[in-house]
Amino acid sequence: MKLLEYEAKQLFAEEGIRVPTGILVSKHEEILLHMDAIKGKVVVKAQVDVGGRGKAGGVLMADRDTVIETARKLFNTTIKGIPVQRILIEERLDIQHEYFVSITMDRAKKQPVILFAETGGMDIEETARKNAGAVHSVSFCPLLPDVPGFLLRELCGDAPSDIQKIVNRLYHVFCHKDALLAEINPLVTTPGGVYAADAKLIIDDNSLARQGIAVNRDLTEREREAEKHGFSFVELGGNIGVIGNGAGLTMSTLDLIEFYSGKAADFLDVGGGADSERVMHAVRLVASVPSVKVIVVNLLGGITRCDEVARGIIASGVSVPVIVRIAGTNEEEGRKLLSEKGYEMLDTMDHVVKRAVEVVK
Amino acid sequence: MIYGDKKTGIIVAGATGRQGEYHIGLMNEYARQVGGRGVVAGVTPKKGGQTVYGVPVYNTVKEALKEQDATASVIFVPGTAAADSIMESADAGLELVVAITEHVPVHDTMKAIAYAEMKGCAVIGPNCPGLLSPGEVKMGIMPAGLFSRGHVGVISRSGTLTYEVVDELTRAGIGQSTVVGIGGDPVIGQTFSDVLERFAEDPETKAVVLIGEVGGNLEAEAARNTEVPLVAYIAGVSAPPDKRMGHAGAIVEGGESDARSKIAKLKKMDIPVASRPSEIPDLVRDLFRCHC
Repeated sequence: MKLLEYEAKQLFAEEGIRVPTGILVSKHEEILLHMDAIKGKVVVKAQVDVGGRGKAGGVLMADRDTVIETARKLFNTTIKGIPVQRILIEERLDIQHEYFVSITMDRAKKQPVILFAETGGMDIEETARKNAGAVHSVSFCPLLPDVPGFLLRELCGDAPSDIQKIVNRLYHVFCHKDALLAEINPLVTTPGGVYAADAKLIIDDNSLARQGIAVNRDLTEREREAEKHGFSFVELGGNIGVIGNGAGLTMSTLDLIEFYSGKAADFLDVGGGADSERVMHAVRLVASVPSVKVIVVNLLGGITRCDEVARGIIASGVSVPVIVRIAGTNEEEGRKLLSEKGYEMLDTMDHVVKRAVEVVK
Repeated sequence: MIYGDKKTGIIVAGATGRQGEYHIGLMNEYARQVGGRGVVAGVTPKKGGQTVYGVPVYNTVKEALKEQDATASVIFVPGTAAADSIMESADAGLELVVAITEHVPVHDTMKAIAYAEMKGCAVIGPNCPGLLSPGEVKMGIMPAGLFSRGHVGVISRSGTLTYEVVDELTRAGIGQSTVVGIGGDPVIGQTFSDVLERFAEDPETKAVVLIGEVGGNLEAEAARNTEVPLVAYIAGVSAPPDKRMGHAGAIVEGGESDARSKIAKLKKMDIPVASRPSEIPDLVRDLFRCHC
């Protein structure tokens, strides 16, 4: 789950990373309550989960006299289609230099990897593309509690030694918060010290419970409903509903729909060993997506039993047509149950997808 | 075959849980069919002394190894305890750990794998269906009925998609040497490269089917560094960016982690890439025609 800037900054501050003094508001009028804290120049920042926020107009400059009007305007805009619900007003730093630091996982090495560049800011991706040597990286054994000093020196080069300390503290955030990504861009030097001017933090969905996060905000309402039943569910906007078991098989079913020039409405993986009730909920959930005209069920029975699947489909009682491909454990019985109720069944995933594409046409 | 054979003794961690118990039954049914040793011990803390399908249960892996001869373990313990279980197996001196468990926090996985590798123990998974060498050994949850013995290796990040492909291969008369599900998480123990290294040394394996998906860039990296003849399939051509497609590791995050980039890279290396699973058997047959 992605955290917003102000949430990430709070966690960074807890690990000793200095962040600018800031005020969080959800209405521009609230700023009046904080006028004492607003001294000189400020930055007004929309708290939206959008990449390239600065370039999209989500970060504005203001001062004590213009801050309320600036915030009012920002609340009335959308940033790449996302409405602005919260704004962070921060003291404007006297920036001497901007750096970039980002910590994530190296899948090949199975280790944390730290990226560092001596020129941070809005154009880091551009910088990296033009000059691969501009971004330094180190990876190291995840059993170490700190980034080894020699690696920090190698990584940060001529940057002030305070920067090395911050990189190590960011590594602590990365570990303690179960992060998939912890990033500061820009990390800035000022006459008053080193600050994280921005903050990015993505928490591992498998660690939300132990991080005390009850609700995964990245999910839509229907996705959250799916999560309750233990389904992985993603809406895709087309008209062919998809239910599969296993992420790979379900993804492959979506690809086949595209191969036959159809458009999938969703990705729904019922998981392993689904019983009739889970299948029933899955069919009802997909049928509740307004654009769905037909549902393809592609299930390969291993631990999942085809007769249970058939009972679930029948019990769902949805009005959209459901076309089925089931194979594996108890296939005969499942097929018999479905054919008695007049459901259309096909032998292979190619056939079932082809048929569904015909039905919507 | 790679990773194990009929002689491999297996320990199941999480033996008294619902999943552990069920799959001890299935693994040993398979072992009986092929004349293998199968699961020789179960481990569940505080449940030592019980039996599951006649298999003795111990409190710890070390206790189990005092009485039983085993070199591998299969792990069914739940998410946040799985890493501990992987390290326990590695510490006790096992050569191989197959971690079936889903929803393991990725920081736990990284640490457990680093620890296991230090101890000289290979980890398959987590979040994987395990492996099966037809006629030899089954370590994990793959449905044995679909498999047939032969000379094609399979490596996959997925579970049911693997079964789909194995089913297609078997129906086409193409048997398998070993089928390995390496798992759908962003950080896993044995990667495509690691498994391909083993296949390269395996006289039973003449070609390998590589089943990848969106996320990361390890498919092409592995293909670049092997001499083994390959056929590839990459799932997720239609996957939108920044959405997790079921597997924690199946996410397009910029760079070259999308399916089309991967397919383009593989094709550039002259590796045949199937556009759908049903094409795989034909591509494997073409490969044999060229190489044999």
